[in-house]
Amino acid sequence: MLGKGGKRKFDEHEDGLEGKVVSPTDGPSKVSYTLQRQTIFNISLMKLYNHRPLTEPSLQKTVLINNMLRRIQEELKQEGSLRPMFMTASQPADPLSDNFREAQPAFSHLASQPLLPTDFVSTTPLESCLTPASLLEDDTFCTSPTVQHDGPTKPPPPALQPVKDSFSSALDEIEELCPAPTSAEAVAAETAADDSKDHPSESSVQKPEGLPESRTAESKLMDSLPGNFEITTSTGFLTDLTLDDILFADIDTSMYDFDPCTSATGAASKMAPVSADELLKTLAPYSSQPVTPNQPFKMDLTELDHIMEVLVGS
Amino acid sequence: FLGAGGGNDIQWCFSQVKGAVDDDVAEADIISTVEFNHSGELLATGDKGGRVVIFQQEQENKSQSHSRGEYNVYSTFQSHEPEFDYLKSLEIEEKINKIRWLPQKNAAQFLLSTNDKTIKLWKISERDKRPEGYNLKEEDGRYRDPTTVTTLRVPVFRPMDLMVEASPRRIFANAHTYHINSISINSDYETYLSADDLRINLWHLEITDRSFNIVDIKPANMEELTEVITAAEFHPNSCNTFVYSSSKGTIRLCDMRASALCDRHSKLFEEPEDPSNRSFFSEIISSISDVKFSHSGRYMMTRDYLSVKIWDLNMENRPVETYQVHEYLRSKLCSLYENDCIFDKFECCWNGSDRQLLTFFLPPLCSIVMTGSYNNFFRMFDRNTKRDITLEASRENNKPRTVLKPRKVCASGKRKKDEISVDSLDFNKKILHTAWHPKENIIAVATTNNLYIFQDKMN
Repeated sequence: MLGKGGKRKFDEHEDGLEGKVVSPTDGPSKVSYTLQRQTIFNISLMKLYNHRPLTEPSLQKTVLINNMLRRIQEELKQEGSLRPMFMTASQPADPLSDNFREAQPAFSHLASQPLLPTDFVSTTPLESCLTPASLLEDDTFCTSPTVQHDGPTKPPPPALQPVKDSFSSALDEIEELCPAPTSAEAVAAETAADDSKDHPSESSVQKPEGLPESRTAESKLMDSLPGNFEITTSTGFLTDLTLDDILFADIDTSMYDFDPCTSATGAASKMAPVSADELLKTLAPYSSQPVTPNQPFKMDLTELDHIMEVLVGS
Repeated sequence: FLGAGGGNDIQWCFSQVKGAVDDDVAEADIISTVEFNHSGELLATGDKGGRVVIFQQEQENKSQSHSRGEYNVYSTFQSHEPEFDYLKSLEIEEKINKIRWLPQKNAAQFLLSTNDKTIKLWKISERDKRPEGYNLKEEDGRYRDPTTVTTLRVPVFRPMDLMVEASPRRIFANAHTYHINSISINSDYETYLSADDLRINLWHLEITDRSFNIVDIKPANMEELTEVITAAEFHPNSCNTFVYSSSKGTIRLCDMRASALCDRHSKLFEEPEDPSNRSFFSEIISSISDVKFSHSGRYMMTRDYLSVKIWDLNMENRPVETYQVHEYLRSKLCSLYENDCIFDKFECCWNGSDRQLLTFFLPPLCSIVMTGSYNNFFRMFDRNTKRDITLEASRENNKPRTVLKPRKVCASGKRKKDEISVDSLDFNKKILHTAWHPKENIIAVATTNNLYIFQDKMN
């Protein structure tokens, strides 16, 4: 809450974001429309999923936030050259992404989304995905919805888009799946993703260029979402699995009753110790081959321990 | 200064403040609704702890012509208790969302108070006499031994200290799946409506076991839900007409004679969006937080996040007047979204009639509108002179009969002396609830946990 004359979070953002009213029709301006949109998108998601009230949350507020997310999702759909997951056939075919559609058979049951076309990915250095400041400096990132026809010709904020699309398509599932995803689900799914990525059968069908981008994209998105995703620092383990799977995977979360928000404030949060075996069981859905706890995994078990330490220790 | 209709200036003076002095606000003490009764003699507040406190105005002292009567506590009672919804595993807040008074028909006073789920009709009655001289009971209540009774006497009423009792006469429950945001008593004084996020129900004041659904905007598939009901009110004169506002900035006027379920509106009031002001937050700030008919019923007023709009019921496509409450917040919407302030529900109210005006034979002129803002500021707009004023509800510098100093917020640029910059506004100090005495220039302004009463300076 804003105190009297008190400093607020996102102070640097404030000057940029709030200095002027950013309209989509503004030309390249100091404030990135896309950056603002991303920030609002993140804030909206946080509002929906960080909220653990004792009483029912306000339906009006939920509806307004949902509408905000939907609107941004629509904009992204129109703007981006990527198609979101669960797309209908009516969408115009993008020849570039055709290559990537075939890359997914191993994950068909997870219905992961097509990755960024290669040529975009190679032209954009990884670092520019990681720092918002660089987006601000690059005027070409001041996209507006009216310019959406440019499509492949303009460099969009790369790698962010596939993640956003996965979020946006995840939104379709949001209303179906009432319970908010806990952060533990996100972590468990993340570790599951690690396993799948390293599994030989899957990695062979992955376009290698796609991996680092989506990984950093997801990690970036994770980083920009404090609270639930504070602990997901082991970004090296993310694969091109969509966040949709991470958030809504059907895994047993009974032992991961953990909310870093409440724990940060000192409220009681149960942290049941989880054995490596139990964790491995939850990783089973993420590999295309049947997995038994005895089967050796590519992933180093010390990495797994490290993740558990992070989970339990924080 | 603000002119009021007949050219008289209203000079607002601090009169009283009720509530705890310390800055540490107990959650239960947060005021959630304020309402004068029809005569203005009683002023009710509801709070987050489910309590109702009623203040009564002192009889005007003829010798004290410089001020109107003060308001003192008349009755306090616990209206609602917290409940638990076992099906959803969620608590039902006891916070009083709205209080509405019934017009007085006999010695007792009646009001409706509601939380998220249940509406209650309370009877507030005075007892200043008690019977004495029973034959079979002692004065302290113990029963006498009948064998000791040798004579009979008739009990008589003797005066006693005034006792004000509140008792629940009706409980209207189990009719709302979603959270009740409004109640409104019909001009027939027999029925009333209650509105939640998706439905509006019609009740008879005497009947608690059934209500009639008159508006239902719940979609068959909840995933398609994009709009909710935010407020509803009956027309002051036309007992078949009511309006309800939505989170998309629309107001629908419905006629109950048209059909049993008033899903099809008779009129739809909506202002087209101003393209130059378009932003991510356009929809959220257009959400209407309050709707109030004028006394005549010719106009209605709506409050959205940044403005107050006056609508002529005969014109649906745009309001006749728009007043900016705190336009300087438009560039701060992102942080206000982040800290949830953008969802604050400000109410608004019309002035009452003014005895000084030559309007004795006419309905009260609704010429001034009032609404709250942040930093404990509240605003008034004079529809005739188009002037506005910003005042502050605070204990500092507020002595009785001292005229309130107008405040000014500096949006940008060089801040003048006595101005407050937008960045130093305290967004925790919000005035959401205000009320205007129906007959006199007395206003009640609720800060977080204090109730301020201001009067105009009588000369």
